[in-house]
Amino acid sequence: MSREVQIAKTVLWSMLTVALLGVTALFVIDRADRSRQTLPVIDPVPAFQFTERNGEPFGLDDFAGKISLVDFIFTNCQGPCPVMGANMAMLYRFYEHSPSVQFVSISVDPARDSLNVLQAYARSLGVDDNRWKFLNGPLPAVKKLSEDGFHLAADQLPMGHSTRFVLVDQNTQIRAYYDGNDLIDFDKLHEDIRNLAGEKPAPVTRNDY
Amino acid sequence: MRGFRKLALITTGVTYFLIFIGGLVRVAGAGMGCPDWPKCFGRWIPPTSIDQLPHGLDPTTFNFTLAWIEYFNRLAGVLTGLLILSMAIYSIVKLREHKKLLWPTNAALVLVAFQGWQGGQVVALNLKPIVVSMHLVLALIIVSLLIYVSYYATQLLDENVGVKRAMPAKAKMWIVLTYGLGILTILLGTQLRSALEVIRDNFTAMSESNWLASVGMIKHIHMTLGLITAGLGAHLGAKVMKRAVNPTSLVLKSAIGLMGLMTLQIVIGVVMLVWNMPALMQLFHLWIASIFVGLVLILYLADTNWGEVSNES
Repeated sequence: MSREVQIAKTVLWSMLTVALLGVTALFVIDRADRSRQTLPVIDPVPAFQFTERNGEPFGLDDFAGKISLVDFIFTNCQGPCPVMGANMAMLYRFYEHSPSVQFVSISVDPARDSLNVLQAYARSLGVDDNRWKFLNGPLPAVKKLSEDGFHLAADQLPMGHSTRFVLVDQNTQIRAYYDGNDLIDFDKLHEDIRNLAGEKPAPVTRNDY
Repeated sequence: MRGFRKLALITTGVTYFLIFIGGLVRVAGAGMGCPDWPKCFGRWIPPTSIDQLPHGLDPTTFNFTLAWIEYFNRLAGVLTGLLILSMAIYSIVKLREHKKLLWPTNAALVLVAFQGWQGGQVVALNLKPIVVSMHLVLALIIVSLLIYVSYYATQLLDENVGVKRAMPAKAKMWIVLTYGLGILTILLGTQLRSALEVIRDNFTAMSESNWLASVGMIKHIHMTLGLITAGLGAHLGAKVMKRAVNPTSLVLKSAIGLMGLMTLQIVIGVVMLVWNMPALMQLFHLWIASIFVGLVLILYLADTNWGEVSNES
């Protein structure tokens, strides 16, 4: 083989190798980017101010910096609530080493669900720290938050509350909904939470009121 | 010796592949894909589903894709380490009298072991820029040792060792100058990358073009030195091609490669400036720089008097 042919061959092989590496790398980079892809931003959560079972106020600001899973329940509920509670309790245990994830259950029966009742309810679900919040607020405000804030049905409370879970990101924006009953897609939920955890919190741009 | 030379060449190739994978890990943002070391999420084979996460680990840190990209880098690293280990064993058992093979090979073994541990530090220190740069510099030193060993083994086997070969006059001066400037440019490049990462982490709202605009002087120095190095490299390649007497085909290929890569490197540099540093371009920018180091080293070795080689064997 003449030297020219030999050199041409080397050049050709090098170019092929580089092209192959380049295509593979593009694929890998794309996969990596997509693995971090964000969920759509659905809506910001509006301001509200309720009370947590420990007596401390809990409002919009307490969503900031945390990934929150929110639902609307009442303790005396016999319908879908036990399933919702069990699912939420399972997730609560799953994320016990994730300080950035919190769970928020808002009572749609505030007259009956006093802070003491909520406290007992929390204990019955195995809650032993404050990663899971149980909120009591005035019924009209709860209804308004459910319907206008989270876009969830709230007819004829307490029975008519939604059974969905809402995913709220570190910047207090609604990012996803899940069926809180038997149909819940845990894989999707876990993936979404991991994706949110990978997002950088946006710099604070909130207007001063 | 023939077997050793083959092993050395394969190891050099695999090491360059590893440098590519390492760069890929960085541009894919997979450096913390495994938050622990040497295991990945507490397992020797990373989890394929979230159920396999060990108890006590924060599941929000798990990203399947990134974990496997980082894991592949570690696998390729282990493969390279094993190849260098077999070279070292070979050199100790059979080539002890060839000190110029024995020492660099075993130095590469020590360095590659250190590199593995240092990779753990990259993770432990959460991708601290200076530690990431160290990881690259070590890789360049290791691959240089492997090229030296491969070249020396080739010389020992050269049937045409008596043929008079000569590089152009003053080639050595140009080679050393190109090499020195190239290394300086690479070091500045790693610094530039560190500076960009600091900006990225502190000003999350900025886009890539904002980072480039605000990184300041170091960008201009890197660009200027890069252009000069590329010019010198291409000039050197052309000079060797035209003026070398009886060059080996390796020398010719290196000269052609140097000219081609330097041209490509300038094109990539311009693309990065205009299109806000696409990840793939960053990757090839770094990889070409590492191949540049190898090619210039080959030219340097080709311009070295190997007269003592024939005496030794």
